[in-house]
Amino acid sequence: MDKLIFLLLIILTVISFPLAKKFIHPGNLVKIASDNKIAYVLPLDEAETVTVKGAAGDSVIEIKNRKVRMKESPCPNKLCVRQGWIESGAIVCVPNRVVVTISNDENNGQYDAVSR
Amino acid sequence: MTKRTDNFHIALLSAYAVGLHGIEALIPTPVPWLRIGLANIITLTTLLLYGFRAGMTVTLIRIFLGSFLRGTFLGPAFVLSLGGGVSSTIIMWLAHILFKRLLSPIGLSLLGAVTHNIAQLFLAYLFFVRRPEAIIIISPVILLLGTITGVFNGMITGLIMKRVTESGRQKTADF
Repeated sequence: MDKLIFLLLIILTVISFPLAKKFIHPGNLVKIASDNKIAYVLPLDEAETVTVKGAAGDSVIEIKNRKVRMKESPCPNKLCVRQGWIESGAIVCVPNRVVVTISNDENNGQYDAVSR
Repeated sequence: MTKRTDNFHIALLSAYAVGLHGIEALIPTPVPWLRIGLANIITLTTLLLYGFRAGMTVTLIRIFLGSFLRGTFLGPAFVLSLGGGVSSTIIMWLAHILFKRLLSPIGLSLLGAVTHNIAQLFLAYLFFVRRPEAIIIISPVILLLGTITGVFNGMITGLIMKRVTESGRQKTADF
């Protein structure tokens, strides 16, 4: 029974990796959302540093060499900052409610405005 | 065994849980989301030795005291901790009474870890980040880490249970 649960979890994990990969677009847009609202959409190939107001304070996000990182964050654990540079996927800062995702141009219609 | 020594043991176990919870926050981890969940060793041990009420008491004391000490009371970390802790305690107890002989502490700990993770992902989605793709992207990693830490904590709980039952329940306080 123990082994069954273990095996089930391993299988679930193995299956979930490629599934999740489908959601990671090798995109070229950096979307920064604060409190579920898109604050910035920036091109990944241009170096830039922006400041976003979150629930707890200002998060600083840096884009450089086709990579993104959370440079500064007011959250207590700094997990988002420790995640470092990412090329794809997302940085989620729960305490400050700031989410940085890298994706491509698809589904542009759902945003009210794009600032570059 | 009198009720008073039981209460004393539960208070002591709660203190262990708060202590482990605090120590764990100081351990640097390679992956930011990795939490070993050492306090779950205490929760599971309490469940197995003293039953559901005691286990839930230890979990709640750990979460409330832990959040007071870290200053996260009623914040996002507290909500995630409470949801994960309460749901995993319930699931571990249900699995324990439903499959009494079939599950060792390792199986119970695995179920607890996975429940904890799923509850936290769900709560994070519900209250803090309404971005399904962000939750889906981190799910596999969290699931994998939960499986590893679940086995680890279960093995330690098994060792504790072995020692405790060998030397009699009175010695609980000594491990």
